[in-house]
Amino acid sequence: LWPYLLTVSIPLDCREEQSSLSRCPSISQEKLLDRVIQHAELIYRVSEESCSLFEEMFVPFPLQLQRNQAGYACITKALPIPSSKSEIQQISDKWLLHSVLMLVQSWIEPLVYLQTTMDRYDGAPEMLLNKTKWVSEKLIGLEQGVVVLIKKMLDEGMMTTTYSEQGLFQYDVPPEMLESVMRDYTILSCFKKDAHKMEILLKLLKCRQTDTYNCA
Amino acid sequence: MKKVVEVFLLFLLLVFTPHAKGTGNSPPGKPTLNRCRSPEKETFTCWWEPGSDGGLPTTFALYYRKETSETVYECPDYHTAGKNSCFFNKNDTSIWVNYNITVVATNALGSTFSDPVDIDVVYIVKPNPPERVTVIVLEDKSWPFLRVSWEPPHKADTRSGWITLVYQIRVKLEQEKDWETHHAGQQKMFNVFSLRSGGTYLVQVRCKPDHGFWSEWSSTSYVKVPDYFHREKSVWILIMVFSAFIFLILTWLLHMNSHSLKHCILPPVPGPKIKGFDNQLLKNGKSEELFSALVVSDFPPTTSYNYEDLLVEYLEVNVPEEQELMLEENKDLHDGCLKSECSTSDSDSGRGSCDSHTLLMDKCGEAKEEERQTDQERMGTEAEDMVSPDMSSGRVKTWPSVFSPLPQYSSNTLDEQSSLEMAKQHYLSDSQFLPSSTSSYLTQPGHGTKEALGPSYWEFCLSNKQPHLLHPQTQARQQLQAHSDVDISSIGRKQAPAGLQSPLLRPTEYVEVQRVNEEDMVHLQPVVSGCGQNNCSPQMPQGEDYSKVKGVDSDNVLLLQRNMMEEDRCPCEHQETNGVKENCYTSSTVTTTQKPTAMPVQDEMVLGMNGYVDTATMCILPTY
Repeated sequence: LWPYLLTVSIPLDCREEQSSLSRCPSISQEKLLDRVIQHAELIYRVSEESCSLFEEMFVPFPLQLQRNQAGYACITKALPIPSSKSEIQQISDKWLLHSVLMLVQSWIEPLVYLQTTMDRYDGAPEMLLNKTKWVSEKLIGLEQGVVVLIKKMLDEGMMTTTYSEQGLFQYDVPPEMLESVMRDYTILSCFKKDAHKMEILLKLLKCRQTDTYNCA
Repeated sequence: MKKVVEVFLLFLLLVFTPHAKGTGNSPPGKPTLNRCRSPEKETFTCWWEPGSDGGLPTTFALYYRKETSETVYECPDYHTAGKNSCFFNKNDTSIWVNYNITVVATNALGSTFSDPVDIDVVYIVKPNPPERVTVIVLEDKSWPFLRVSWEPPHKADTRSGWITLVYQIRVKLEQEKDWETHHAGQQKMFNVFSLRSGGTYLVQVRCKPDHGFWSEWSSTSYVKVPDYFHREKSVWILIMVFSAFIFLILTWLLHMNSHSLKHCILPPVPGPKIKGFDNQLLKNGKSEELFSALVVSDFPPTTSYNYEDLLVEYLEVNVPEEQELMLEENKDLHDGCLKSECSTSDSDSGRGSCDSHTLLMDKCGEAKEEERQTDQERMGTEAEDMVSPDMSSGRVKTWPSVFSPLPQYSSNTLDEQSSLEMAKQHYLSDSQFLPSSTSSYLTQPGHGTKEALGPSYWEFCLSNKQPHLLHPQTQARQQLQAHSDVDISSIGRKQAPAGLQSPLLRPTEYVEVQRVNEEDMVHLQPVVSGCGQNNCSPQMPQGEDYSKVKGVDSDNVLLLQRNMMEEDRCPCEHQETNGVKENCYTSSTVTTTQKPTAMPVQDEMVLGMNGYVDTATMCILPTY
């Protein structure tokens, strides 16, 4: 009786490349982590493209190097996210994941806002708009993925952020053009950096999963 | 009675009614989820197969549960994807979790649950077929090819990398039934080569994500390849035609010149031909005539020879002019010559080594033969010595064994021709020998008989050797003859040693006894000094001088003294021969008797070892 049950039992760890009607109940942790990393890579790549596209089109050349000026600091600067290599090495897996989640969640709303401001620009290319839209959508998906990952790895339940129209950057009066441009430019470039950070953190996490002692 | 019938009918009704309605009324059969597909990894659709409907209207419901939660949701959209399907839109699709889906069929009588199915969206991706497939024909140096290009399905987000697609193309000719499949990787363009000219091709494309299913084939594109000519083939045809043409010409040329070619490649093999030998006679089988033709009437030479004439001729002839004289005179003597193998104007094919000089030799040979007949004893050594000059020519090897010592001599410096002549002479002379005499050569090597003539022959030192006087004991006569042969040959030679040429003029020339004729006359002839080299000046015959005539003793012996001129210059190294002992000895005297009989046999010629003293007739006295 027992062997029969065992054979019939559904494997907890699914192998890859199963057919669509597989009996695998859940996605394995490694696979999940890979997908999350892939997701983060994509987001970073697209954000980089849209940032450079925006820069070419809207930002006057002399101002392109002034991303980190005081007025336009990144919004996520205040977050307790490790930024240096040494810090990252000391952080635990749990904190890695939480940092990533924090980043992701903090960027969801600004990107939504970016969408609305971009629509206001004249002559904004379709591609740029599509990209930014795409990024914001994918970011939400990334958040979901990280949540699932946290649940799987840390066994913690989290809530995804609720999506609200109210944002930090909601202005009733559209600001001046240049200012708006610069602000948007700041958003895009900051997001690009943070996306890259997300990707690195996740990759480090993956590295720790496979080879604990050789990860940088 | 009626009641019973009614009860019975009622009973029947009751029995049959449910039977009539039983096929339709049952809970629905189990539906099965047969397929779920996602076209772009952002949405997906599931289709199910309903089971038996149980005869009642059945409704279906799809419930799903996400992996992480226990909340059961119902399908948000039953209509978008068609009948018996459920469509999950973007918001409901998550790539992070598995879906557990169940379909429930419900009818009035009950519901039936299908087996649950777990779905991982990433693995059920089946994209739409590629779009906008275009095929064009491009030229490549008269080898056209197809260029197929397409675009990914518009829903698949390959630009951002969300999905990575690989493509496949298949091509076939219109009239064939097998497709030719090519894998194109991630590129959106592909070239097809090796087309048939004038054919119509069908092209289709499909794609697949890295984890997922192949899409359907795109709609067929038709393309017609224009007619083109294989340039390579035409070149080959030209080459073939050209070479065939040349081959024909060559064959014709060969045919025209077949005769001369045959002559050139396969020259006629010279066959032996004997003058006077008639093949026809042989074929006819008439041996009488045949052999009579071979026989020379005046062989062996009779005494009709005018020896004196011959001698005189020899003595008087000078080289070069006298050569011709000699030749002329000798011709007379050759009346009775044996068949001359070597005639100057021999037209036979086998006359390579013969020339006019051999004529002379023949004559001499005949003369000598006479002597030989009288002289039966020979010394093998003499023969050897005699033969020595021939050795130089290298021809000696072909000589009969009598002349075995010949090999002693080194390579000749003499004119090859002359040596050949000498050899010839010797050969002739030898052949003219009676068998007994030949054997006597061999068997009496040590015979001490001296010829009456007691001549010791000068041998030809072909290689710069002095002609040395043969041992007096050697058979003078034969050697005389041989030497005479040699002399004759030497006469003929252009660079003939001086011996024959002007014995009178050259003090160092020798005279040798040619033969003793019946009248007891010693015929002397100058012996060619052994100037073996071609360039040997006849005036300086190396080697010993001729012996001077001392006098004639009572026995009619001519005493000759040999000069001791160049004693040390006797390079005639015929050491091996027995007869050759000392060089340049003045011994002196060769006594020759006038009597033919006694000459070769009895007389003991006391001669200097190397040289030989030629007996001279009284007529020849003055020579030395």
